[in-house]
Amino acid sequence: MAYPYYFKKIILLLLFIAATCTFAFAQEIKGKVLDAKTSEPLTGATIEIEQAGVKRYTSANLNGNFSFKNLKPGNYRVSSKYIGYVSSAPVEVSVRDGQTVATQNILLKDASTLVNEVVVAGQGNRESDRSARSLEKNAPMVENILSAKTIQLLPDVTVANALQRVSGVTIQRSASGEGRYAIIRGMDQRYNSTLVNGIKIPSPDPAYRFVPMDIFPSEMLERLEVIKALTPSMEGDAIGGAMNLVMKSAPDHFILSANLSGGFSTLFSNNRPFISFKASPNSKSPAAINGNGYGATFADFNNTAITSDKNQTSPFSSTAGLTIGNRFLNNKLGVVLSGSYQNIYRGSNSKELTPNAQPSPLPLANSPQFSDAYDRTYSVQTQRLGIHNKIDYIFDSKNKISLYNLYIHQNEYESRMTSDTLGLGLNSTLLNKQITISNRSQLTRQDIYNSTLHGDHTLSNLIRVNWDGVYSIAKRSQPDRTEFAYDANRSLNSSGAITAEVDNNTKLSHHWESNQDKDFAGYGNIILTPKIGNLNAEIAIGGLYRHKNRNADYITYSLNGGKATLFSNNFSSIPFAFTTAADGIGSNNPDLQNNYTVKEDDNAEYIQLKFNPFEKLQILGGVRVENTSQSYATQSPATVTQRSGSIKYTDVLPSIHLKYAIADNQNIRASYNASISRPGFGEIVPYKITGEYFDQVGNPFLKHITADNYDARYEFFSGSSDQLLIGSFYKKIYNPIEFFVVRDGGPSSQVIKPQNDDGNATNYGFEALATKYFGVIGFSLNYTYTNSKITTSKLLYYNDPTLGLQQKSVDQTRPLQGQAKNVGNASILFKSGKLGLDIQVAFVYTGERLTQVSPYANLDFYQHAYNQLDFSFEKNIVKRLSFYGKINNLTNAASKIYLKYPHGSLDAKQQEFIGKQDITAQTLVQSDYYKTLFLGGFRYKL
Amino acid sequence: MKKIIYILAVTTSLMSFYGCQKWKGESTDIYSYTPPAASPVDASKPLSCTTANTVIPVKGTMLSGKTYTVNDGCDVVINATDTLLMQPGVTLNMGVHSSLIVLGTLVSNGSKDQPNYITNPGNIKYDAPDAIAQKADSAYVGRWKGIVGGPTCNLMVLRWTHVEFAGYTEGKATSTIAGSGTGNQYSILFANYKGSFIMEDSWLYGGVDDPIRISAGKVAFFRNTFEKNGALGGDCLNVKGGTVGTMAYNTFIGTATNGQKASNKGQATGAPQTNVVMYNNTFISGGYRQTQSGRGGCINYEEGAAGMYYNNVAINCKFGYRVVGSPVADIAHLSYGSNYQWADSLSVANQFYPTGYITQPQTTDIPSITTSAKYLPAGYKLGDIYDGTDVVQKNNPMFVNFPLPTTGHPLASYNAMSTFNFHLQASSPLVGKGNTSIVPLIVVPLDKIYGLSDATPPGRDLGSYQLDGSGNKH
Repeated sequence: MAYPYYFKKIILLLLFIAATCTFAFAQEIKGKVLDAKTSEPLTGATIEIEQAGVKRYTSANLNGNFSFKNLKPGNYRVSSKYIGYVSSAPVEVSVRDGQTVATQNILLKDASTLVNEVVVAGQGNRESDRSARSLEKNAPMVENILSAKTIQLLPDVTVANALQRVSGVTIQRSASGEGRYAIIRGMDQRYNSTLVNGIKIPSPDPAYRFVPMDIFPSEMLERLEVIKALTPSMEGDAIGGAMNLVMKSAPDHFILSANLSGGFSTLFSNNRPFISFKASPNSKSPAAINGNGYGATFADFNNTAITSDKNQTSPFSSTAGLTIGNRFLNNKLGVVLSGSYQNIYRGSNSKELTPNAQPSPLPLANSPQFSDAYDRTYSVQTQRLGIHNKIDYIFDSKNKISLYNLYIHQNEYESRMTSDTLGLGLNSTLLNKQITISNRSQLTRQDIYNSTLHGDHTLSNLIRVNWDGVYSIAKRSQPDRTEFAYDANRSLNSSGAITAEVDNNTKLSHHWESNQDKDFAGYGNIILTPKIGNLNAEIAIGGLYRHKNRNADYITYSLNGGKATLFSNNFSSIPFAFTTAADGIGSNNPDLQNNYTVKEDDNAEYIQLKFNPFEKLQILGGVRVENTSQSYATQSPATVTQRSGSIKYTDVLPSIHLKYAIADNQNIRASYNASISRPGFGEIVPYKITGEYFDQVGNPFLKHITADNYDARYEFFSGSSDQLLIGSFYKKIYNPIEFFVVRDGGPSSQVIKPQNDDGNATNYGFEALATKYFGVIGFSLNYTYTNSKITTSKLLYYNDPTLGLQQKSVDQTRPLQGQAKNVGNASILFKSGKLGLDIQVAFVYTGERLTQVSPYANLDFYQHAYNQLDFSFEKNIVKRLSFYGKINNLTNAASKIYLKYPHGSLDAKQQEFIGKQDITAQTLVQSDYYKTLFLGGFRYKL
Repeated sequence: MKKIIYILAVTTSLMSFYGCQKWKGESTDIYSYTPPAASPVDASKPLSCTTANTVIPVKGTMLSGKTYTVNDGCDVVINATDTLLMQPGVTLNMGVHSSLIVLGTLVSNGSKDQPNYITNPGNIKYDAPDAIAQKADSAYVGRWKGIVGGPTCNLMVLRWTHVEFAGYTEGKATSTIAGSGTGNQYSILFANYKGSFIMEDSWLYGGVDDPIRISAGKVAFFRNTFEKNGALGGDCLNVKGGTVGTMAYNTFIGTATNGQKASNKGQATGAPQTNVVMYNNTFISGGYRQTQSGRGGCINYEEGAAGMYYNNVAINCKFGYRVVGSPVADIAHLSYGSNYQWADSLSVANQFYPTGYITQPQTTDIPSITTSAKYLPAGYKLGDIYDGTDVVQKNNPMFVNFPLPTTGHPLASYNAMSTFNFHLQASSPLVGKGNTSIVPLIVVPLDKIYGLSDATPPGRDLGSYQLDGSGNKH
């Protein structure tokens, strides 16, 4: 256990920070810096006092307060400046002897209001919490926002990990413990959509539409919005919510910021090295190079990905970021360019028991029966490169265009070492073990490119028009995933010592898969602002058209060294070959159905009306119509049913959003909206992929999911960044897609198939979020309760006293997959402008949740409640340079998955393999440990 | 001369006697009309298909004495409402990588004198031990894909039929048409728990994975011979959840893993529990091509399977009769006894009761479980390691032509019948040891053509060949 050592370090650091804080009591000048227009406090504004040429500085805290203590009596000139604001003229303040405190408030004018109506407020302004709160308050619908300032201080470097700090959001992790997908209010990733600057982007995922959120470096964001109720002007395919990544936009003056950091994970050591490999030079499969008729042989393959394995004891992670922006041509042209690079080494140690496709009816009905005990170590190097650029040009106060470009590239090198004890009880006993040892090297490349040309035009006082032209590509490929495996057959004596070992059955596989989505889309909106009677109304009419092309390629070459060939740790001596030469031919690839193309044409039209029937009530309502038309074609031969097909559907999605302002800083909201979720491409194509326990197949007969969503929320915004949100929601979900196990021919051939469940699902709950700052210390808490319900038919395998062993269907009600009943975040912030120090301790709690649905009753997999504690800080060293650090997973929290079956009731043979157990009424089937990740570096800001 | 007269006299008297018999006799020549087959399958040209569409639908009758050829890569399909009847003496030559998909009914009605062949032509059989390296032996290659019974196949009968050289991977297209699941390398697949699969007096030669996989079904396996089954793994008769029936008088030589295996794995909703009665089967040199450890070599019951096994003979099988404890066989409904085993070597004898499993030694087993202090020791618990020294080469079964202990070849090399003869000599200790009180479990129709023609009851001698000539007729 290494972490107490780091704990000590952290405590030392905290003590050091505390020691630098000095407190003194004497004459004092204090006050507040406020926005001249809105009276909102301006956190971080610089305040200067000057007496006889001697200057002192401080900055405003979270409530906008500042103070200068320990002053000599006399006259001082007090002034303040803040990014995006006009500096205040100096004010004379005199402090007399005997008077302890002089108060002087300062009002700053927003620079933007002076420059140009169209130019939005400055950089420092838009990225602040204050701006985020004001957006939340003024938005017509229910949403939560994290500002860039908040994200910068978070311990997270990816958007996925940052998302877990948002109220009602939990994340699903990848094998290396990196957050990957967001579950919003208990609705898993399929129910959520990802937008960049409000534009939907395609996904590089091989099967689904949802976007892996870990490929976005968080520092590129201006803010992160989680929109939980949809207006008619938004695309209707989000039932849980839409995540909108608002990227940094062009500033109103020159900006430059850069950061550089390095770190390491405590997972790796001499005993548990990080395993790195060189990727195979063969980016294309033999069939892709030579045509589908080509018969590949062993000579066509390169095994570098396996043979180049190297142990590294403590690989060094690094990140770097650079943002430059300015305005030119009399402020008409704005440009921002931002780049981010991350090279992070992570990993996990995982133990897993895999259940048989079918449980045992003895001793109890549906007793779990384990087939494999896996012991795996993952070493994952992730390289992320993100570049984005926005150029805007303001023709005049009525016309503005912008061009936005985003390019994200991620290489993930994953080395997985597995030792798999097979056939527990059946073919492996205490006297005889068959262990498959395998080494898989996998490079996953993902790219997203988006280019959006946007225009805003004010045609008259009554009519505004805006439009977007969008081109996007999302790509993913696994070029030459290479896996080598062999069986170690061990005979043991009664005391457990190995008496004989035969290593044989060497296997080598080379796999290529790639998929690509290409979208062309056009958006157009007309906004009319007529006066109806004496009411100001806003009518918006608009629509979108999107043409999507997707294609996917998939091929696996399986070679073997001959089952009879013994393996003596010399990889290069194995005579690998195809079982039959024909297996090397591309067109004999058994997965031809996985090579497919999909075309999708979506068009949507909407009309929405926004008006205030009286001052305090805002009503926004309307309707959206979405038309979806898809067709797919696979490479399967003509005799294969479902080889191609087309699917069309139309949805009418009404919505209404009410916002009642009780006071200036308090709202009550209520809304209803209908939304949909389209099945993934890999689900509608009759595709077959290898899964964890079962193979997974597609289902062209899947219907899309529709839902009715109801929301209510009370909001209270006080101070600059304080807020209190209390909300509740109710969702009714029709045709929910759930995974069922179906027989695919024989008993050893059962597959998971997505199907619409006959029963509808419901999901309801409430959220509470409170943020409160007390001077330099702030607390933020959020909690979400979710209760979802779905009833599905499950199998019960039992022993009937007369009929013998029987299997029947029973109905079982359970939560939706991925949903945790209780989810919460707590963080403590220390922000001192005076010390130039920000500290955050963040805690995430995810309650027990269903991770994998079993086809058998009572055998669902539940992840135990998960706690993670993270720490981060940023300390200003000199004027523009600061030092920052991020520490993830301080307590080495493990992800543990259980079956709700008392492990003591498993049969004696399985007891030999189940490993250490810790809950009597349950069986621990998987544990993943990630250890602590450290990152520290410097940030420079001009 | 006297001799000649004598011979003539005898001959004459015999002839007259014969003549008398002839006179006494009666001659009938009554006209009998057999309607011609309504839709005979045309044998004049090969059954052919195209690359784009590999399906050849076939129904009707294949006529006695004719040879039918299926072109390479074609899928012959008997549709769900159709029947294909192969009269005695039909040869069906299956092209390379072709398949025979049965969604309806298939009856191959061969006879002892006119057996049928479903085979891939042009392959040479090397049957003597070590006559050919395993790698070069076409028995293990899988020339064609095999007979694939889909979920709607209600009846499949193989009578006096040779099925040979099958087991090539079905592939996506074939398995989609058959509805059988991908990746199969079976010579014969049957997958309908409401349907019947009958195999009697037939031969299965070669194979890649499980030569016969019964995913579910009512079954009867009587008096068949299995050779060279499974390349590097595979249980010869591997039956899964929802299989009920009897396996009797079958002879297995050189199967990759087990000869007969019963499991209730994958029992479908509505299907019965697997329950298989096995008696009077003979297993020779089973289990040596299974490269993984502990998998079995003759009979295996596991994962909820019920039934019984009696009167079986296992010669030099890598593992003895195996009952699995996890996932546990339905041991409350599993009985066994009167089973014989022979070991040339200690390693074989040490696995008569495979270590790590739960086969309960029976007092009727041969060799006797009280042979010595080592076999089996006091305090022996199921699955324990024990010392089988005292039962090596004990109770020689006295086969007509298979000298034991074997000489000249490793045990793994005995894979085909060759010139061997496993009939018993009268002095064999296996004679008269059979338990004849057990009852076969017959759930298939009994019929000369569309069912099981002869359900031979348990025999008094152990193994598949009876001194009285009953049992396996090969």
